[in-house]
Parts: sequence; structure tokens; C-alpha cells
Amino acid sequence: MKVKKLALTIGGLMATASISTAVYSAGDTVPVKAMADALHLVMDSDRTIYTRKIVNRLVKKDKVIKASEHFEDEKALVLPAQMFRFGAELVQKRMEKLPDVNFSYSLQSLWPVNKQNAPKTKAEKEGLKFVAENKGKNYYTEETLGGKKYFTAVYADTGVAPVCVSCHNKHKDSPKKDFKIGDVMGGVVIRIPIGG
Amino acid sequence: MHGLVRQSVTLLLMQISISSISLADDNTKFIRFSDPSLMQGRVVWMQNCKACHAYGTAGAPIPQYPDEWRHRLTKTRIVLYQHAIEGFYGPEDTIMPARGGNPALSDGQVRQAVDYMLALASYYMKKMNTGLTK
Repeated sequence: MKVKKLALTIGGLMATASISTAVYSAGDTVPVKAMADALHLVMDSDRTIYTRKIVNRLVKKDKVIKASEHFEDEKALVLPAQMFRFGAELVQKRMEKLPDVNFSYSLQSLWPVNKQNAPKTKAEKEGLKFVAENKGKNYYTEETLGGKKYFTAVYADTGVAPVCVSCHNKHKDSPKKDFKIGDVMGGVVIRIPIGG
Repeated sequence: MHGLVRQSVTLLLMQISISSISLADDNTKFIRFSDPSLMQGRVVWMQNCKACHAYGTAGAPIPQYPDEWRHRLTKTRIVLYQHAIEGFYGPEDTIMPARGGNPALSDGQVRQAVDYMLALASYYMKKMNTGLTK
């Protein structure tokens, strides 16, 4: 696939660029795939740190608080997946005031507990199927929605702790109840508008 | 109609081809040692441990990356067995779930899987040290 260039300045990517093999100059454009990969790297790292340093440490190791889907009622920590979703919602809201920034991301699944997190577009469905069947690989494509063209990337979301798996397997609304640790349970969909 | 059949056959051949590549890849990366106990350990490992340890999921050390094993291989085997059987919190707040998250595994099966992973990690460590890999 021909790599498309995304007209974005690179200020926010300097830290990533300085430790990877890609080197950019001020005023350069960043390939859209690299942009999506960078966004996902930040999202995934933040979520990993929340899981390890907050949830694993306080819930599992020190046992001082629990994490729950019903965190308000139970005065508990939000689940890592909920934190991720709240972040995505805040990004969308804050982006309304940033006309030069335009992308969206969401956590979806072919087996969602909440039906609103099921894939809707053909690219989302194919991407989620691909990452579930090809562990360790990402899915990239282009799609046209509402007359606009987008670069769409899908990254696997893996069940990394017993609680991820047991919660989905036991949840009354879960359409799949035989997940094992290490299984791909869904995917992060990143969508960036492109020209052409 | 012929087009549809041809397309289906092509897709089927592609799927068989992808499966073959995947199996060949597994056989190359996840070595079949001749020792019968390690062979048994490989079966347990492939079914229960590979999903995380082959990809580094949640910080799981990958046997093919010697740097991730150097300090682990200095621990006694008894300690490593205990971590795998009872579960373990790593220094970076990573979690190794007890029995890899499969409570149906016996202590003996977990030990066999640990033995296999240690043999695999040692193999790649030795390979790197002798300059066979970059």
C-alpha cells in the first residue's frame, strides 16, 4: 500500500522519533501509519502503566482497594478498559477546540459486553477478525465514510490478567464465555482522515 | 459460478498456506527437544503459556530474547517453579498468574512447562553467546 503523508507538524512526536529509527525535521509531514502507531504506543503504554502500577499493585499485591465495573457504587478503582474509554471520550471532547487535530479511537470487540462497542464498519469488522486470528500483527486499511476518506488501524487488545478473562466469561451480557489469558478479546480502532 | 468456485479454492489454498507457514514458524521458534519430558513440557507450554510468553503480553519474558532471561536464569529452578505454580508479582508490578491462569494444570505439568521454557531460553542465550544470532 502506498504510504500516505499526513499534514501534521511533529512537535508531539519528537520524543518517539528520537528513540526510533525514524528521524524527522521541523516542518516534515509524518506518514499516517507512523502517526497511528505512535498514538497507539502512547495509549497502550499509559494503559499498561495504569494496570501495573495502580490496579495490580493496589488491588492484587497490597489489597487496599478493589477495581470494579461499578466503581462509583462500590468506591472502587475504574477498570483499565474503562479508563481507556474515558480517555477516548475526553479526547473527542477536547479536540472540538483544536481544529488542526483530527482523529478518533475506540475499544471494540467482536464479542462486546456492551453492544455499543461492537464493530460497525466493514473495516472495523475485518480488522478485529484479522488481529484475533493473526496474533502479534496489526491491521491497516483505508475506508470511505460519509464521503470522507480515512486511514483505519486496528491493534489487538489482549486479556492479560485473570480478572479480564473471568469478568468477561462470567458477565451475563458477554456473548463469549471461554476466553483464556492471552486471548485477543478485542481491538483498538484508530481512525485518521486522509486526503484523496 | 466458475469465478466463485475459483475464488473459494484460492481462498482455501491461501488459508492452508497461511496455516502451514504458521506451523512451520512455530516449529522453528519453539524447538522440539528430544528429551521426552521437555516434549511433554512443550505441549503444555504451547497450550497454556505461548499466548503470553511468545508475544511479551503483559510483560511476559519471551524465550527468544536472552536479555529478558539473564537475571531469571540466575534464580533456582525451585523458585521459578514456585512462581509459576503460585503466581508472582514482578518488580515492575507485572503479574504472572498462578498456573498460567489454568487451575486445571497439575504441579507436574507446570514444572514441565517451566523446564521447557528454561530450555528454550537457555538455547537462545547460548546461540547468542556463540554469535549464531545477531
